[in-house]
Parts: sequence; C-alpha cells; structure tokens
Amino acid sequence: MTNPVRPAQFLKSFGRGLVSGIPYFWLLLFFVIPFVIVLKISFAESQIAQPPFTDLTSFADDMLTISLNLFNYIDLYEYDLYLDGYISSVKIAGISTILCLLIGYPIAYAIAKLPPHARNLALMLVILPSWTSFLIRIYAWIGLLKNNGLINNALLGLGLIDEPLVMLHTPIAVYIGIVYAYLPFMILPIYTNLVKHDHTLLEAASDLGATPAAAFFKVTLPLSVSGIVAGSMLVFIPSVGEFVIPELLGGPDTLMIGKLLWSEFFNARNWPGASAVAVVMLIMLIIPITIFQRYQAKDLEAIADD
Amino acid sequence: MTNAGIGRWSWMALVSGFIFLYVPIFILMFYSFNESRLVTVWAGFSIKWYGELFRDEQMMSAVWMSLKIAFLSASMAVVLGTMAAIAMVRFGRFRGKTMFTGMITAPLVMPEVITGLSLLLLFVTLSQALGWPAERGSVTIWIAHTTFCMAYVAVVVSSRLREFDRSLEEAAMDLGASRLGVFFRITLPIVAPALLAGWLLAFTLSLDDLVIASFVSGPGSTTLPMVVFSSVRLGVSPKINALATLLVLAVSMATFIAWWYMRRQELIRQKEIQSAFNK
Amino acid sequence: MKKLKQLMLAGSVAFSAAGVVAEENVLNVYNWSDYIAENTLANFEKETGIKVTYDVFDSNDVLEAKLLSGKTGYDLVVPSATFMARQIEAGVFQKLDMSKLSNHKELDAAMMKKLSALDPDNAYSIPYLWGTTGIGINVAKVKERLGDDFPVDTWDLIFKPEVVSKLADCGVSMLDAWDEIVPSVLNYLGEDPSSTDKNLLSGKVTDVLKSIRPHVRYFHSSQYINDLANGDVCLSVGWSGDILQAVDRAAEAENGVEVAYIIPKEGAGLWFDMLAIPKDASHPNNAHTFLNYLMRPDVIADITNYVWYPNAVPASTSKIDEEITSDPSIYPTPEVAANLFTFPVYGPKFDRQGARMWTAVKSNK
Repeated sequence: MTNPVRPAQFLKSFGRGLVSGIPYFWLLLFFVIPFVIVLKISFAESQIAQPPFTDLTSFADDMLTISLNLFNYIDLYEYDLYLDGYISSVKIAGISTILCLLIGYPIAYAIAKLPPHARNLALMLVILPSWTSFLIRIYAWIGLLKNNGLINNALLGLGLIDEPLVMLHTPIAVYIGIVYAYLPFMILPIYTNLVKHDHTLLEAASDLGATPAAAFFKVTLPLSVSGIVAGSMLVFIPSVGEFVIPELLGGPDTLMIGKLLWSEFFNARNWPGASAVAVVMLIMLIIPITIFQRYQAKDLEAIADD
Repeated sequence: MTNAGIGRWSWMALVSGFIFLYVPIFILMFYSFNESRLVTVWAGFSIKWYGELFRDEQMMSAVWMSLKIAFLSASMAVVLGTMAAIAMVRFGRFRGKTMFTGMITAPLVMPEVITGLSLLLLFVTLSQALGWPAERGSVTIWIAHTTFCMAYVAVVVSSRLREFDRSLEEAAMDLGASRLGVFFRITLPIVAPALLAGWLLAFTLSLDDLVIASFVSGPGSTTLPMVVFSSVRLGVSPKINALATLLVLAVSMATFIAWWYMRRQELIRQKEIQSAFNK
Repeated sequence: MKKLKQLMLAGSVAFSAAGVVAEENVLNVYNWSDYIAENTLANFEKETGIKVTYDVFDSNDVLEAKLLSGKTGYDLVVPSATFMARQIEAGVFQKLDMSKLSNHKELDAAMMKKLSALDPDNAYSIPYLWGTTGIGINVAKVKERLGDDFPVDTWDLIFKPEVVSKLADCGVSMLDAWDEIVPSVLNYLGEDPSSTDKNLLSGKVTDVLKSIRPHVRYFHSSQYINDLANGDVCLSVGWSGDILQAVDRAAEAENGVEVAYIIPKEGAGLWFDMLAIPKDASHPNNAHTFLNYLMRPDVIADITNYVWYPNAVPASTSKIDEEITSDPSIYPTPEVAANLFTFPVYGPKFDRQGARMWTAVKSNK
C-alpha cells in the first residue's frame, strides 16, 4: 500500500485530511459548539431574563469571575423521578429494540432473498409509510387502539371479547408506536448487510450436511452481526429520549426521560436543569457506545493484521 | 445472496411485516375520502378534502418547503456521513479518532429539544457576532437536519464498510488504478445499497422532524410537520389524510415506474445476450 | 466576512436612525393556529399594501423559547397573558407607541384595568381574544351516570373523588397545564387562586389532585377536542373555545353526541391572548399599523364571528352574531363574570415546584 513517490503521498494525506476534515469541521461547528453552549447553561441558574439563565462570567472590579453552579447536577441526583425515568426509558427502549429486531430481521432477510430486481422495490415499500407525516401515523394508531377504535370494534363485533381492551394510554401502545416508527431503521442496516453475503458459503455449509436452520445460525447470523449492531443502535439510542410517542400514545404514568426533560424545560422553565439532564444523558450513553466502537475497531484491525 | 428462492417462512415474514406497516396507512387513506370532518367517524364518500387541500396555500407551501429541505439535507448528510464513515472505518488510528467517533454518534443521543435549543442559541449568537444568519429559515433548518441525519448515515455506511472485502480495492490498486479511481469504480458501487438506505432514512427523518425545525425556523419557513401539529389541536384534518394519500401514491408510482423501466432494460439486455448466443 | 459585517452594521445604523429609512412593506406575524378570520389578512394587505407573512404555533412553549433566545424575526406575536407577563419582565418586548394606535380607546376599560396587573400601565400589549378554563361534558353520558338532577355547573364534577370516580369509565381528561389547574383547585377550595403558598401547593392542592388522579385517563391540552366530539371521553377540563369547537364538531357529525361547555359556579380562570411587539422586530411601524387595524370594531367582530372567542372591543358586539353574544358560555353573564379570576404569574422557584408536583401527580409517584 505504501507508495514511495512523494507527491502521491502528499495527495493521499491531503485527500485523507479532506475526507475526515470536512465532517469533523461540520460537527465541530454545528454539534460541539452548540453542545458547549448547553454545557455552559447547565452550570447557570435560571432567571427571568433574555436569555433565561445567568451568565457564568462577570466583570467586577476589573476581575473576571467565573461561577460554576453545580446545583443542577446535585438536583438531578436528588430528584428521584429522574432516575426512575431514566431506568424506565432504557427499559422501554431496550424492549422496543428487541421487538424491532425480532420483527425486522426476518423482513430484511426475506428482502435480501428476493430476486435482485425486486429488492429495491421491497425496500421502498418498507420506507414508504414513513413518508407520510409521522404525526398522522401516530394518530392513525390512536384511531386503531382506542377503546371504541377499529381493533376493539372488530373484536367486539366478532364476539371475541365482551369489553373493549384498554390499549391506548398504556405501555403496550408505546411499544407499538416505537416499533412502528423505528422498524425501517432496523430493517435497512440489516438488509444492506445481508444482501452482500456470499452465497457460496451457505451452499458449502449445506454441502457439508448442515440443515438450513443450522446454516442460518452458524453462517448467516454471525456474519450479519454488524448490521444488527447498527440497526439496534439506530433504534435504541433515539428511542431512549423519545418524547412524542409516549406523550401521545402512553398513559400519564409512562415515565420517560424525554418527557421529564420536556416538562423541566417548558413547564418548569428551567433551562439549566434541562441542560444538565441532557449532558448527563449524553455522557451515560456516549461513553459506552464509544468504548464499544473502539473494541469493534480493534477487532477489525486484528482481522486486517491476520 | 442470489436467487436461492425465497422460502415459505420468508414470505410469511414479508407479508405480515408489510401488513403491520400498511394497516395504519390504508386506514388514513380510507378516511381521506370521508365526508365528515371527524377523522374516525364514517359519514359517506367524498373527495372534497382533496379540493380543500389544494386551496390551502399554507399547507401546500409547507409541503414544498419540507420536500425541498428533506432532499437537500438527505443529500448533504449522505456526503458528510459517508466521509465520516470512511474516516472512522478506513483510516486506522489517527489523532482524535475517539472523539471523532463519539462526535458522530452523539447527535443520535441528544434529545431533540436540546438539539433544537442549542442550535437556536448558536444561530442567535452567530447572527449577533457575524451578521449571519441574518434571518432563520430554510437554510438553518437544512443545517440542523444535515447534522443529525449524517449521524444515521454514518452508522449505516460504516456497518457496510466494516465487512467489506478490501482485497478487491487492493487488487485494483495493484493493477495501477488511482485511489480516486478505485473509490469511484469499486468502493462506491459496493457501498451503494448503504448509501441508498442512508439517504432514504435521512430523507424520512428530515421530513418528519417537528421539534428541531420549530426551534430553528424563522418567519415564512413553516415545514409540514409544523403545520400538521398546529392543526391537530382541532383534530387531524382529513386534508392531512388526503395529503398523505397523495404522497404515498406519488412515491409508489414513481418507484414502480423506475422499477419497471429498469426491469425492462434488464430483460432486453438478457434477450440480446441470449440471441447473441443463439447466433 | 469583515466587509459583510461592516455592511450589516451600516445597515442597522441606518435603521435605528428612526424613520430615515422607510420600512420594507412586510410584516411577520406569529399567531395561534385557526385564530383569525379568513379575510382579515387579505383585507389588511389590500388596505395598506403591507405584505403579511403569517405563521402559526400551537403552544406558548415554543414561542417562549424563541422569544427568550432572541431575534425571532417576528414583528408581532400572540402569547397568553401570564406568559407575556414573564416575557415583559425578561425584557423581550418594546413599549407600544400609543400615537400610532388611534383605536386604542376602543378597548374595554374594565378589562384593561384587570390586565394592568400583568402588564403595568398596559404599556406593552393589547388584548386580542379571551376565554375561560372550564369543563366540557358529554351531556347524555354524564346524566346517565350521575342522575338527571345532578347540578353539573360545579367543579365537584372533577375535583370531588366520589363524583369523578363515577365518570372514570367513560373517560376523563385534563389539561396538561399545571399553572391553570392549580389556581382552579385553589379557587375550588375557597383559597386565593393566585396564592403562591408552598405549603398549600404541596398540601391541600396535591391531596385533591392525587385523590382524583386514578380516575383521569390522560392529561393533554389538545387531544380532548376530538375525543369529546367522538364520545371517547365524557368529561374534560379545557379551554372554552376548544370545547365549543367540540360542541360544533359533534353537532356537525350527527353522531348522537351532545357536548356542553360549563363555567362552574365557583368561578373559573380567565385567560387572555395578547398582542405584543418584540424588541428586535424589524418592522415595528407595520406592526403598529396592524395592531391598530385589529382594534377596529368591524375587523375584530369578523374575527370573533369566525373563531367564536370574545374580544376586548365593546363596540364590536353589535356586529357579532346574536348566536354568539347570547351564549353565556362564550359571553358570560354578569353574575358568572363576577366570579372569574385571572391566572397568576409565578416566579422561577414556584414554577419548578409546581411543575414537579404535577409530574409526580401525573406519573402516580
């Protein structure tokens, strides 16, 4: 891979610099700096002003004083609803991710097995429902799930139940909503992974006498792990902080961190408090993810070195 | 995978999956033809909501605004997200890599309210300090959407890059192909499904985003979810159902035509090959 | 970039040299959705030649976040009065130039006096439309469960566990707005609705809310409109105009549901939506022109006729449909009006306590 010619070397590193530099710069400007603003707010105190929080720095007697207010973080620790909310969010997101995987994997698998010309069509069909507005899809589910909604009316009409099942404003409705909204996010990465598998491997396995099921669990599944990981990340991470779905489909006692943060921000008008929640949430999720990715990268390097 | 034939179980998974995905869609299509304003009570067939939809200038302009922003954000996010994925997967270890990986996934973690607020404050600060952006609008929404969409694209593309056989690229390189040539002739076609998937995800994310857009929008830049949300206070208007129906129909038609065209081309080519053989 | 900045600076200097440079003929308005007559803007544009960009929002929350961050780009916004009071204190708005508001004299003097508690000397704002926070019921279902003779014009319906428990099975909903529910509870308990007594909040008020919590199906500030009209809930604490919309929808759908709006006899909260001009508005002159236009009796009468919310211009009453002015749930009778109270404005500390109490009650913790 090494190329002794100098200009080429220069071009290569220049190209590399560009490829990593442009997204780096973009994220620095539009994610890191805004995040620093959030971090700053989390150390401030709320007040009635524009903007509605105190400044950290102040000039008095030609002295620059910086005051960091840790109250919001202490408060986070002391306000027990946050911990409950966080745990229940992770639980809801985790169960939803598993459900998405159980439903999404077979779909992705089936699409990858379709003849090549039909794959893109099927893929479009997966994504198409998402091109209607998210809110009206949720409202369509409300229409299905409510006490005198379509599902209950159908079941009552068939005589399968005597009383309407209470589904709306329960955790079940939240699971349905999240799975419905995020299913394409699971299917797409798994599909892109499965579709490139080398079929000869499977044939070799079956030639060696493996049943289709064994071949699937021994060959296909392990090979698609990186697709599963990507899909699970895309479902799990955003649904931890989900707000709209539990707000519209969940009951008042479906506690989620997204809802708590929302009410802290808008109802209590406590921008610093809400910022502190976000900072802690980011740290609690991003550190494990980064460590995980590092291991993954190391594995990859190990393979490359072989 | 090749045409190994799709088994019974796969068919079942596919069909039941599509039923789950499409039941709500068919219901809202059905109710777009409802005479009554109440979305869930059937009061007779009517197409009046389609007329009302086209007369609603605010909603129509919001639709265009949303589609435009979604298209541009998805395209930009694919470019940036792919670059990020290549840097993450291909560049081995480099300085600041851990921070880089963290930074790319972080937008997924941030709650929407905070992303929206932080970008709003950034734009306000920038406009006070530099005079840009003088007014918030479609450009600021585009920036915000690109930022969180590129995280999704990076995850999808890097998952594909991780498992891809580098021997092909190396072989091409050994044969004297330039780096850029290898990228465009070999790497790009192989990651193409991931790029398509990433673009589609980014497009839908941008099209659906309500919270972030509400924060960073300015006068005259109302997106579709904002119009929908501000009108659901009075119940989902059947107009919105009509709009959803049209969107679904338009996209499925376009997809089907594209598919049909490509399929025909392929069949013609196969025929040509066959006739060449027969001769 | 530097040049650009200089140019911008030059531009802003020219602007601030009051009136030297004429304003562009545009106006950016940010109002609630479905909150203006169909022809209001078109007529205004025809009359003045000012092009209006009209955007809508659905809750005070996002509006407030934008206002407090600064540079919204809007020239005229419509916050609710209690939100506005806090925003005035934060220094978000500019004082109105009364010399440009010749129709200011048309406003109801008694109402302006009430509002001066929130906007001292009425210097920053004028009222747009107003209403009450009361109860919407499904008449048949409530009668069926409580008996024909039960007097429904009382907060007992929702705040008395023995009563509300009988309605739980047909669906009870409540606004997700603690700063309106808490004063309503205080008033029901015979306390001062604008009290900011912590012990009262964590004591009596919380007890009432916790006792009725098991019977409330959901807390939401907009879903109840459709649900009332469809018969999915039979009792909602909500805003007058919204519940009247539900009344209308149910009648229109002919689905056998009859909805009624009740202002309880113990008194109910009174809210106002206010018109105000942000300090950094780029077209303040046009905003004043529009404000003045909105205070014209014929213009505001059209709006009331369309949205069914009362306004603050007494001279418009004769131009409003009889159907609306004679409805005591829209225009309360003098006896009822005497019991109405305005919602208080809370400071940051009480805000936090209230919001957390509310979260705890809602989530049953």
